[in-house]
Amino acid sequence: MSKDYEPNIVAFLCNWCSYAGADLAGTSRVQYPPNINIIRVMCTGRVNPLFLVNAFQQGADSVLVSGCHPGDCHYMEGNFYARRRFTLMKELLEFIGVDPRRVNMSWVSASEGGKFKDVVEKLVKDAKDTGPFEQFRRNKINW
Amino acid sequence: MVDLEKLRQTAKDIVSRDDVKHIIGWKQGTYGFRVEPHFAAEPDEADALTFSPLCTNNLATYLTLAEKLPVPRGEEPDTRKVALMVKGCDSRAVVQLLVEQGLTREGVYVVGCPCSGVVDVKKVEKMFPDILEPAQAYWKNDQIVFQLPDGEKEVSREEVLPQKCLLCRYPNPVIYDELLWDEVKAWGSEDYEDVKELEAKSPEERWDFWKDKFSSCLRCYSCRNVCPMCYCEDCVLDRLNPTWTFRSVNLSENTSYHLARAFHLAGRCIECGECERVCPVDIPLMKLNRKLYKEVVERFDYEPGIDPEATPLQASYRPDDEEDFIL
Repeated sequence: MSKDYEPNIVAFLCNWCSYAGADLAGTSRVQYPPNINIIRVMCTGRVNPLFLVNAFQQGADSVLVSGCHPGDCHYMEGNFYARRRFTLMKELLEFIGVDPRRVNMSWVSASEGGKFKDVVEKLVKDAKDTGPFEQFRRNKINW
Repeated sequence: MVDLEKLRQTAKDIVSRDDVKHIIGWKQGTYGFRVEPHFAAEPDEADALTFSPLCTNNLATYLTLAEKLPVPRGEEPDTRKVALMVKGCDSRAVVQLLVEQGLTREGVYVVGCPCSGVVDVKKVEKMFPDILEPAQAYWKNDQIVFQLPDGEKEVSREEVLPQKCLLCRYPNPVIYDELLWDEVKAWGSEDYEDVKELEAKSPEERWDFWKDKFSSCLRCYSCRNVCPMCYCEDCVLDRLNPTWTFRSVNLSENTSYHLARAFHLAGRCIECGECERVCPVDIPLMKLNRKLYKEVVERFDYEPGIDPEATPLQASYRPDDEEDFIL
């Protein structure tokens, strides 16, 4: 792995908490690594666990699902369902040999810009340690 | 013990009823140790039904495979029951279908056949190669007796049973309208030995193991089609827009296929082992299913296919589910 390897992190952030948290980090001029590609979803319950598999296939080195703290969901219970699904998908991915540090979930509320920064920094550090994800990345065919 | 006379008589009585469409059971196949599904709609067709250690098929699949054609105007839909012969594991598939409301309790008549373990046909064919004539088998204490052209052969159960039967904890149907003979004593216990063995390895070793298995996959989709729990009319793996999994057969798409298949059975797989049985390249699919089964039991204290009144695992939650990994 080259020294200037920059990981590609795909993050699914819920509209009501984590996305607003990331926005707060931005407006309050908190510096966090730019390796993160944010996809806004209305709720973590919207995240089909196959999104994670698809992200890995299409070039993610690490994925993050982030939403409201349990009990704070805008839709009352979306993040509880998401937690169950994510647990099972994480176990499955680990079982076939994906590094557990590549599959992450966090609770970040709209007022936790600082926490969002910490999460991203941890993810980038872990992703740099684990290196590029190549296990089942989709190979582009150059016709 | 297995009483074929009673089985056939019961089946005849059932198909004679006005409110039953047909009974789905097993009959002798055309060669070797093969047994095929049999749909008896008339009483005289029920004579072909059989039950033996060779009846490996999980017939619960046919409950959801039946094509539901639109009813012509002026005609009433056929609401007759479908009678189904089930082993212990098959009955759990019926329960799980009831949980998911894939069928109604009134629409099915379950005939329970307590089972002492069915054989793994691949193992038997290795043991007795070149048997072309239809062969039969029956249980005798802890043995399975094969009736071959050159006499009877007794084999201990451990030698020919697949892993799912050796570990079976539900040999007796958990749901039935009629039980054909006495219940057998359950023998299995679940310790997830093989799953733990693989879990103990490093991620790289695990990936090497699965990489080898997934690259040999032909994507014939047998595992999906035979599964009694895979009954979506519009399967996510067939869908073109969005295309979740490309059709090309390569490691990336195969892995994505197997992850999707296993994940969609999380908290639903009832461990009938059909996927592994039909796999032409012997991918240990039950390892993936059993891994998720283990997590579901340990983390969520949920066992699929036992209680028809339960809520599906992924459609329910507990506020205090474990979340030790969440940042």
